[in-house]
Amino acid sequence: MNEAVLRAEGVRTRLGGEWLHRGVSFAVPRGQVVGLIGASGTGKSVLLRECIGLLRPDEGRVHLFGEDLWSLPLSRLNQVRRRFGVLFQEGALFSSLSVAENVAIPLREHTDLPARLRDELVAMKIRLVGLPMEAAHKRPSALSGGMKKRAALARALVMEPELLFLDEPTSGLDPISAREFDHLLRVLCDSLGLTALIATHDLDTLWGMVDRVIVLYGGQVVADGPVPEVAAGEHEWIRSYFAAHVKERG
Amino acid sequence: MDAPELERIPTEAGCELRLRGAWCIDQLPRVDHLLADLNVPHDREVRVDAAGLTRLDSAGVMLLVNRLRAQGVVWSAVRLEHFNPAQMALIHLVAERLDARPRPPRRRYRWRAFARHRGRALATRMLGQAAFLGRIAEALRDLARRPRLLRHRELVVQLQAVGLTALPIIMLMTFLIGVVFAFLLGVQVQKVGANIFVVDGIGLAVARELSPMLTAILIAGRSGAAFTAQIGAMKVTEEIDAISTLGLSPIQVLVLPRLFAIVLVLPLLTFVGDVMGILGGAVVAASQLDVTYHTFFERLKAVLPVGTVLFGLYKAPVFAAAIAFIACRNGFAVTRDARSVGAYTTATVVQSLVAVILINAAFAVLNPDIPR
Repeated sequence: MNEAVLRAEGVRTRLGGEWLHRGVSFAVPRGQVVGLIGASGTGKSVLLRECIGLLRPDEGRVHLFGEDLWSLPLSRLNQVRRRFGVLFQEGALFSSLSVAENVAIPLREHTDLPARLRDELVAMKIRLVGLPMEAAHKRPSALSGGMKKRAALARALVMEPELLFLDEPTSGLDPISAREFDHLLRVLCDSLGLTALIATHDLDTLWGMVDRVIVLYGGQVVADGPVPEVAAGEHEWIRSYFAAHVKERG
Repeated sequence: MDAPELERIPTEAGCELRLRGAWCIDQLPRVDHLLADLNVPHDREVRVDAAGLTRLDSAGVMLLVNRLRAQGVVWSAVRLEHFNPAQMALIHLVAERLDARPRPPRRRYRWRAFARHRGRALATRMLGQAAFLGRIAEALRDLARRPRLLRHRELVVQLQAVGLTALPIIMLMTFLIGVVFAFLLGVQVQKVGANIFVVDGIGLAVARELSPMLTAILIAGRSGAAFTAQIGAMKVTEEIDAISTLGLSPIQVLVLPRLFAIVLVLPLLTFVGDVMGILGGAVVAASQLDVTYHTFFERLKAVLPVGTVLFGLYKAPVFAAAIAFIACRNGFAVTRDARSVGAYTTATVVQSLVAVILINAAFAVLNPDIPR
């Protein structure tokens, strides 16, 4: 059960004439919830895009479920894509469709389930992420930020993925909604047996729900381990990053 | 992937369900089929045994819970055996979130509701148009009282965007229309040997109808669409709210410079169009119809009264005001979603073309005399 679901090896990325990643390597074993932190502009989102097959790294490999993502033909890549879900920063819900239709899209495209079962599944996922059923027929523009994230999470989860990528899941939420969302994510990851990689800026998310944290600095992984260990590390940027928070906690 | 299986074994206390294989989303129709034929006594003990289960996901749990509940079984009384801890956590989560409330009915399509909805939408739109017209009038009044409110820089930028950069395309289009019109007219007049009358036709058609209409249509498609897209994009990024918050009037900053620019520029472009269209006619007349340039322009002086040219130029500012009004109004109507900008830009082009053609028809009906 403990093979790495996601493994990046020596990923190097050149963006705008400068090296953004200078050999990033890490692995995420099955069932772990991993946080990815780094200052703005260190390429967290870019790394995430490379892991989900949207952006090709200049050098290095990304293995998903043991397969080299960037050497797969498109048809195989799309098969692999069905095994993970992605929660984009702004939710990326299709604005012309209702929440229920948004959640149903992967089912319509990738399965031939009868409409009755599809509706049942969609309703279950919407309830699973804690949305009221009244929200199902609303357009995304009629939802609050927290509800949008939940709806997007329902869409990411509908194909029963094994792996979940989240880009700043709590950005733009008030602290209470953010903690609720963290809690929901943790419960879902534990119950559904999900592996998750979370790019985040939110210290409370780190302390509250991740098993391990990876720190990206200067284009490299400078720390990788459980949050208390990393927070106690010597690296200057990490110390200033955690400083305020540790003091606060006493 | 192992196919899902279900075995129902009657026991003295009730019945036992043995699950085998993969109960997951890929196999969902089969799982549904297995559970559909199931007959479970709802008043007796139900045991679910997972000894042979190889995979379970939330979709499988959902069907199990929903179908048993549909038979009247109380889920919390069901005894679950041989599930591993991860599966138990999954089952508890799904069963807890899936309470037994019925799903809301799907929305049905009703004609009356549809008609009422559309009627109301149309009414609010008309009201919105009137209100927008009012806001422009208000802004114009303010500007008349305090001319310093005029935003020179925006006006110049718009003059360039609407006028100068449109010049080549306007010149090319009207020239080509003049060529085509002269060519087709020439074929007809040649039959009766009245070649010189091609000048009368070209002058009248280009100055009175072709150049004003064509220029207005080009500008509606080019600048009207641009106005809506620019203002709409600013609406999406909350820039318009920022303008209001800074104590400025979005109408003064965004609408009036565009309105003035297009109203000033369209007559000028129309005149350029007149010249180019007649030039195109003259080229064809000289090369195909044995009417020299000298004869052409001598005849033009005699048969094209200045009133006809002015009539064409009078129409242009009216077209321009209609285009600017429709384009800016649609820009402000954009909402914050991805489709909106595209939908309103399309609406601008369609509405302003219709408006230009209707206004042109009104001018023609109200002034049927052609001055001589």
